[in-house]
Amino acid sequence: MASGEKRVEIEKELSFGPVHPALIEPYRIRLFVNDEIVEDCELNINMAYRGIEKLFDGLPVERALLIAERVCGICSHVHAWNAVRVIEGGLSIVVPPRANYIRVLTNEMQRITSHLILFGHAFEVVGHETFAMRSFLLRESFMDLISYVGGNRVMPSVPIIGGVRPRADLTESLKRVILERVDEFEEKYKGYVTRIIEDPLVMSRLTGIGFLTKEDAVRFYATGPTGRASGWDYDVRTKMDEYKPFEFNVITDESCDTKARIVVRALEIFESLKIIRQVVKSLPEGPVVNQSWKAEEMDFTTAYLEAYRGELMHSYALDSHGRIRNYKIRTPTPTNLAAMEHACVGDHVTEAILTIASCDPCLTCCTRAEVVDSGRSRILSDFEIVQKYGWRK
Amino acid sequence: MNLKATSRKNAIHIMVAYTGGCNGCDIEIVNAVLSPRYDVEQYRVLLTWNPREADVLIVSGVVTWQMVEPLKKIYESIPEPKGVVAVGACAVNGNVYKNLVGDIGQNEEIWAPVETVIPVDVKVPGCAPRPEDVITGVVKALPKILEAP
Amino acid sequence: MDNLLFFPLLLIISSVVAAAVAILYSLVLPGIERKVQARIQQRIGPPILTPGFWSVLKFGYKRRIEPTAQIPGLYKSLVYFGVGIIVLIFLFSTPYWWAVLGWGSVLGIAGLLKLEEVLYVLMGSQSQSFLSAGMPVPDLAKGSKHVGIRREFVEQHSAERALKMMAIGSLPFYIALLVPFAMAKSGMISSVVAMQNPAYMLTSEWWSVPLPSNPVIFTLPGIIAALVYFVGYVMLLNEKPFSILKAKIDLIEGGVLEYASKLRAYYYLMRNMLMFALSSIFVTLFIGIPFDPFMPLMMLLNIALSLILPVMLATLVAFSPILTFRQIYPAAIGLSAFGILALVISLGV
Repeated sequence: MASGEKRVEIEKELSFGPVHPALIEPYRIRLFVNDEIVEDCELNINMAYRGIEKLFDGLPVERALLIAERVCGICSHVHAWNAVRVIEGGLSIVVPPRANYIRVLTNEMQRITSHLILFGHAFEVVGHETFAMRSFLLRESFMDLISYVGGNRVMPSVPIIGGVRPRADLTESLKRVILERVDEFEEKYKGYVTRIIEDPLVMSRLTGIGFLTKEDAVRFYATGPTGRASGWDYDVRTKMDEYKPFEFNVITDESCDTKARIVVRALEIFESLKIIRQVVKSLPEGPVVNQSWKAEEMDFTTAYLEAYRGELMHSYALDSHGRIRNYKIRTPTPTNLAAMEHACVGDHVTEAILTIASCDPCLTCCTRAEVVDSGRSRILSDFEIVQKYGWRK
Repeated sequence: MNLKATSRKNAIHIMVAYTGGCNGCDIEIVNAVLSPRYDVEQYRVLLTWNPREADVLIVSGVVTWQMVEPLKKIYESIPEPKGVVAVGACAVNGNVYKNLVGDIGQNEEIWAPVETVIPVDVKVPGCAPRPEDVITGVVKALPKILEAP
Repeated sequence: MDNLLFFPLLLIISSVVAAAVAILYSLVLPGIERKVQARIQQRIGPPILTPGFWSVLKFGYKRRIEPTAQIPGLYKSLVYFGVGIIVLIFLFSTPYWWAVLGWGSVLGIAGLLKLEEVLYVLMGSQSQSFLSAGMPVPDLAKGSKHVGIRREFVEQHSAERALKMMAIGSLPFYIALLVPFAMAKSGMISSVVAMQNPAYMLTSEWWSVPLPSNPVIFTLPGIIAALVYFVGYVMLLNEKPFSILKAKIDLIEGGVLEYASKLRAYYYLMRNMLMFALSSIFVTLFIGIPFDPFMPLMMLLNIALSLILPVMLATLVAFSPILTFRQIYPAAIGLSAFGILALVISLGV
């Protein structure tokens, strides 16, 4: 290879998916490799396209929450919460502080389960079954807590417009259970993290691969733990009113590699535990839901929230009948995808898949059609696609 | 009971095919398989990712357009006798994506339920079903496999 | 053994008995392996017979389905070759074969093992599962950065990795295999056993259990070589941490992806049998207790001691990730160095 010249010749292409052990959701990885080294990567994510944004159009806003929660099964609470935050912001609905506390509590509990899924998945990809199983076992204690609060392990449906469901109100006994479980969990989890960090084989697999520099992270807008592992201390939680009463640190790591992305998430769980303790100990008394609101015409409103994988945006407008118009969701994964594709270049094939997994892709959230036209890319609305190409029937 | 049925009862290989749901069911299935709390292996159920090895296909999710052909192909690749378990409300009836639509009236992006694509033997409803339900579903698919020639 | 007239008859009977016992026993091993792993992972795990015995039987009862391969006939025959080769490897380590044409020697074992490794290359180049490149999804875009690039099936990639593993990965195993022969200053298994267990060569009663007087494993080069042999065993079996050629997370299962129903039963047999054969050879060469079908107690002792390597393997599998070539090359070279050290010491002794 000539000095400074980028090698462009590509020997072959390896493609995996959509049904494959390394992927927990339908997408397709196309790796362009020379021998075993990945030269370029292309992620095709449109296998999960369900046309969600279009479904919202014309639905009464209360019913739309049902769909919003089912945008993603791992971060169901964030989507439901952010959907209600839009209308609460747009129509200035006052949310009782107790409801906000409970929403934060559920959010942090689900953040822990989400990060533990990542560990389970990442260690499955590393090939270390024991750590993966330990992670899933640890996760169970928080799945139980979520089902105690919301009644379902996966879709707790805690937030409703103006507060939380009365069923999700915390009783004294539940508070005690949560504190006990959190203590128990923290002890076990510390041992788990120590064992990971002290395992030389696992660490040799994780370190030194999948570099994503801070400049690249900012350029691709890789938010969430992926960006924070590159030293970019961007966390929407620091700007949110709901998180004002609580004290927590934003974890960043300067080492920019796959290990950093795992470590950042591992340490974030401790911060989440801290927040959960604060919520339960300083839970204010009062009602949990404010029902004195009425759906009326609302201008296009946007709400941002720190989901478990990065910044999440929901925005919609309401027409004069209180029906939803122009629902737009931007999940963290589309921006993180570009970062993933960039980060896995130059690694071994097996490591490239680990890098992609360590960015925690959650592609079911949102997929869009995109027309790439001579270098300029443009996002088409569903209507335009239908007009131009017709239904794919 | 003859040797054939005994051997089939004692080693069941399951394969998971996710066809574009919300991930919740996938995680619960993986939970059922991987989490030591549920641990399907103690019920003689082993997880595989190769359709040639599988006996029971677990399908989750609404079937999106792009997943129709892969799903059919996976189903065809499984040697007889085989069973299909549709897990989750999406696979059983389309869940909110099919039944809660606004102005467009009909969601044309999805093929749910799974029955319209491949024959389904057992349906496990729930959004998302608990891991215990998934295990029960796999067990309910057994009689068909045991009795097959 | 002195009666030449009865020798072929005895050879055939001993081979049949040995093969039958070995195949039946090897079907229990994966269950034990899985159970040990499950216990380490704090769960109950499958019943002992499920992953081996019942799985093989079940695949035998499945309806035949044609594999997708470049030459299906060749692809199907490879697995029969595999079973044959491994049964032969095992038989060569049993006493009646030691006298046949010098097959019961280091050359017989190493040569056949090399053949077995080549099978993975052939399987990989033949199999064309739809799970990778053949998946019917629209993923080729006209505006893509890379157009018209050769698409490869994961099995072909597995074949390339198998070649690399053949060249480097299995080297430590063969060096460790040489050490007992070097200590006996002979290439024949019989002299290795005679060195460790002189009593065995003299007894002819079927009930006696002559124990080895000076096993190789209790000498300095022997213990080093035994450790290297163990790691080489893991590499030859393509188990974690050296399972790169059938790494589940990118190659799913590698070249054996397309084996279905009966062929998959044979593949299971082949793999389980290899696990047992190498373990039994270890006991024969390093401890000096051969698998003698006409001395049942000796045979049982060999079978019992053959559990050591699979249990160690299961523990290693539970505690280790998949290593990539970044780690495999240094590991293989380091282990080979250890093996050569053991070889040098043993030649000096």
